[in-house]
Order: sequence, then C-alpha cells, then structure tokens
Amino acid sequence: MGKFLLLAFRNVFRNRRRTLMTLLMVGGGVAGLLLVGGFFAFMFRGLRESTIRNGLGHIQIFTAEHFTRDEVHVLDTGIAQWQQVEQRVRSVDHVRGVAPRIEFYGMLSNGVKSSVFMGSAVNPKTESEMGFNPNIVSGRDLNATSDGEVEALVGAGVARSMSVKVGDGLTILAVTADGALNGLDVQIVGIVNTGIKDLDERYLRISLPSAQRLLQTDRVTNVVVGLDRTANTDAVAAALTPRLQGLSQQMAMRKWIDLAAYYKQVRTLFSGIFVFLGAIVFFMVLMASVNTLLMAMFERTREIGTMLAMGTPRRWIVALFMLEAALTGLLGAAVGLIGGNLLGMGLNASGLNLPPPPGSTFNLPFRVLHVPELMVGVSIMIMVSLALASILPAIRASRLPIAEALAHV
Amino acid sequence: MQSTSSLVSVENVNRVFAMDHNGVKALDDVSLRVDSGDFLAISGPSGSGKSTLLNLIGCIDRPTSGCIRIDGTDTSTLSAVQTSRLRREKIGFVFQTFNLIPVFTAAENVEYPLLVQQISARERRTRVAAALESVGLAERANHRPDLLSGGERQRVAVARAIVHRPALVLADEPTANLDTRNATQLIDLMRDLNRSLGLTFIFSTHDQRLLEQTARIVRLTDGRIASDNQGESHGQVLAACVS
Repeated sequence: MGKFLLLAFRNVFRNRRRTLMTLLMVGGGVAGLLLVGGFFAFMFRGLRESTIRNGLGHIQIFTAEHFTRDEVHVLDTGIAQWQQVEQRVRSVDHVRGVAPRIEFYGMLSNGVKSSVFMGSAVNPKTESEMGFNPNIVSGRDLNATSDGEVEALVGAGVARSMSVKVGDGLTILAVTADGALNGLDVQIVGIVNTGIKDLDERYLRISLPSAQRLLQTDRVTNVVVGLDRTANTDAVAAALTPRLQGLSQQMAMRKWIDLAAYYKQVRTLFSGIFVFLGAIVFFMVLMASVNTLLMAMFERTREIGTMLAMGTPRRWIVALFMLEAALTGLLGAAVGLIGGNLLGMGLNASGLNLPPPPGSTFNLPFRVLHVPELMVGVSIMIMVSLALASILPAIRASRLPIAEALAHV
Repeated sequence: MQSTSSLVSVENVNRVFAMDHNGVKALDDVSLRVDSGDFLAISGPSGSGKSTLLNLIGCIDRPTSGCIRIDGTDTSTLSAVQTSRLRREKIGFVFQTFNLIPVFTAAENVEYPLLVQQISARERRTRVAAALESVGLAERANHRPDLLSGGERQRVAVARAIVHRPALVLADEPTANLDTRNATQLIDLMRDLNRSLGLTFIFSTHDQRLLEQTARIVRLTDGRIASDNQGESHGQVLAACVS
C-alpha cells in the first residue's frame, strides 16, 4: 500500500507544469469558496449579533397566551408577575441581564402633524448594562432617574417627518388597558438611527414606568434575557424551563433564532447563493480535472498496458487513478486553504467597506472569517469530487486492451 | 498427451484482426510446443506475426481459434481475472522499449511484480537485491530509469521479469534498441539465466547475434511457421533467417 501510494504521489508530480496549473485551478476554486463563505459567515455573525444587540436579546419570555390568542385589551396577555420572572431568571448561569419591556403602538403629534409610532418601553439602565444601546446620532439616551419631563428617543425618520429635534416636545396617544385613549407629553432627548429605514420612520422609546402610566397597567409585554455568549442560548433555555413553572401565568420562551425572521431569511438566501456558487466552482474544477486526468491516462497508455501485462488487477489501476486524483484534490485544497486564508487576511487588513445593503443606512464592512468547518468541508468535497471525477478516466485506463496499449506510441 | 507435458503448447492457432471487411490473418494455423528450460527464438520478417504469437503465449491477447496451454492450463477457459493471475505468477515480460515505470527507481521497478503478488516487504527486499545482483545492477538500484543507459534499463527489465520466479520469460525484440555491446551483454545474461536457473525464454528477434546463441529458432513467414529447427540443423535455419 505504501509503495502504491508512493507511485500515485510521484505520478501526480510527473508533469510538474501541468500539476502546478491543476493545483492552482483547484486551489483557486477552494480559495474562492473560502472567501465567499468566510464573507457570508462574517455577514451572518454580524447580522446575528446586531439583531441580538439591537434589543432582541438571546431569549424572550412571554405568557403562553401571548402566542395562542390576540389581545382584547392592551397587555391583557402581558406578564403580571414580571418582577418574579426577572428574579428567577437572574439566578441562572450565563445570564448577563434581564430587561422587562412593553411593546405598544399609537399616534404621536407635534401639534400640527400626526404620525403612527411603534413604541418600546424599557428600563434604560438595565438595557444599557446589557449592551442594548440604541444608535443615537444626536442627543443622549434616556435618563433612568428623570423626575421631570417624560423623556423619549425617536427615530431619525420620525424626527425628519415631524420636523423635530433634540429638546423639542411631542404628544403621544395610546389606548389604555381599559380601552380608553390616553395621552402623554414627552421631550425628545435623542435621535436614533436603527439602520433600518422603515423602522426609523416609526421608532419611539420611552421608559417603562412612563409607558405603564400611559397604558394604565402594571404588566409588561415580555422579559428579554441577555447572555454572556450567544453559544450559551440552548443551555440557558434548558435551565430556565423548570424555573418558570409555578407562576400564576403559564410562561413561554422563545430563543433569538425563533424571533429573528429577517436573519433567517437572509441566511437562507445567502446559503442558497453559496451552494449555487459552490456548484459552479465544483463543476468547473471537475471538468478541467477530468480533462487533465484523461490526458494523463492517454500519455501513460503503454505504462498501463505494461502494468496490466504484469498481472496488475484492473481494479488496482482504477484505484491508482482515483488515488492520484484525490491526492491532487488534497494538494489543491492545501494550496486553496493557504491562499484563501492569506487573501482573507489581506482583505481584512485593507479595511474595505461595501455600500449599504437595501433597507440599511450603514456601510457593510468587507471582512472574511476563517471558518474551520468551511475549510474542512470544502477540502473534503474537493477531494471526493476529484476522486469521483477520475472514475471515468480510471475505468477507461483499466479497460485498455493490453496488446493495443503496449503498442501505443 | 504431449501438450500436457510441455510448458507451452500452441495448437492450430489462428489470429485474425478485423481491420477490413475480410480481416487480416496475423497467424495461420500455428502449432508449437515449448518445453521447460528451452531457449527459443521466434524470427521472421516484419509483419510475419512474431509479436502476435508472443502476445498470445503471454495471455495478453486471445486467439481467434485454436488452443494455447500454459503449464497444462487451457488459457481459453480462463476468466479475465484468472488470466491476470496466470500472467502475474507464471510469466515475465521483457519489452523492446524496456517499459519501466519512470517514477520508480530500478529497485522499485524490479519490486513491482512482487507488490502485485502481495509478497511481504522483507521477502521483496531479498528477492529484489538478488535479481538486481544477477543482472549486475546492484549498485544502480536507487537510480531512476532516466539516469540509466539503454543496456542498464533492459537489464532492469530482465530483473523485473525474473524476480517473481516465473515459469516463462517472454521477450519481444529485447535487443532492438541496444547497441552492439549492450546487446551482447543482454544476450549473455539471458543465456546465463536460462542455463543457471533453468528459466524458459521465448523471444522474438531479428538480431543475428542473438540467433547465433539460440539452439532453437522458429521462423515465421506470413503468419505461418516456415521452419522450426527442432531436429533440424541450426545452420540451415540460421541461414534462412539471415537470408
């Protein structure tokens, strides 16, 4: 077996120029896939973490009713004993913070013009501790201990359409838990850019007590849990399940992946694009490799005839060609891994930025992650693919009529 | 009865190649017996069927009709796998153009038939060393073919042909690509191996130097055996070959 492997290895380097070209071609394909896959991985990671950090959190806790029926009155499916929930969640390892929130809707007015808003009410101090900091482009964040005017953050789109700036006042109107209409004057202390244009045009944030006063309730919509690492989500969710039993309301949990619909759509789309690109690259590499292997077979016709004349089993000839192809794949993958990673490092160091994607207002940094699973997967796929691509030339070689092969010039 | 006692028995063999509507008859009713230990030359002009006959005896081609027995085995009854095993175990080949594996050293080339027979590494080392010693190339064992002279390459090929101790060595024009000195050395080597080891050699050749050393010469003309000096005078057959 060792000698056979040696023969295959030496055969790979028999025609060095051609082997070099093949390795560059295979390596180029591998490097290309690593760069594209690494960039997509960077995008996925960035989108995941920004989705979580923009306030989604790692785990959200609702009442079970929240998912089984629509609200008749505001927050009638909200969490009543949210302080107890918060207390129980805080006792679990890896929990970095717990943030009760109210999601609500209503109208806001500057006295001249009205607009619809999507509001969230938070505890600013807790949110800040958990790293859920809004991207404030003007002014400051909500003050947790403000005793005077009710403070509010509004989206850049809201500020533009309502012609308001930091320090101006707005009136917000919402339906209370009893079904009445209630109003609250707020002072704008900051303008926020969420990165999503549609959200910027509806964004409003006030403190939790202010929202409870506006909505005439002591409930919250949900409790958001922030963790030290995203990778701990499943473990914490498992630990939380028994701790949420025995409350007056039945609770239900959702992990970030269940709630991040946009993230999942983006990931599905780009994974599809990656598979499509991968298929094209593999097809091109395979076609070129088959051609190279057929040339090698043609050049070695008499040698194959000699080996067969000496009683070499035909399956050995098939195995030899497949082994040579797999070795070419292995070496090509090594070239691709080295080249792809070096190129990725170079691109990362260059600080390139891409224009903002549709629906976003931020430039997208061009960074390439080094993903070990991707490197191993692409390398194995290229080796197996080349070995499979060699089957046709290998079978043709093994079926050569010996007398004709020996007479081949 | 005679056919079973001979190492090689060729009985009424025809070989027709389908090259046109009628086909080309390369061998026409050829019968031949070769005993163990023979040193036999097949001679004749180009296109007379020498290589075809060697290919058939070497089981790398099949006759259109007729029967070939190797060591008592009717080769026409063997499957492809059985034929391959027969070649592997009982036949050694020496080719006109040496046909060494260029990426292997001389020793590795000689080792190859033993690898195919899956003989242990220790046994392989011993046999390869002995085979290379017997052809006088022990010191060139680690040289690749491109660093060997034509004569040395052919001697490596002979070592490769005998290393697995075959019953029969077939050589197709073994001296055709060698100069006089190397050809003479090779002839002497083959003759020595025939005498010392009792190896059976069948070879095709035009080379008069080789024919002069050969006790038995089969002369082919147009696919038929024109003469076989078994029981005839060597001089007459040799004269016919030269003419």
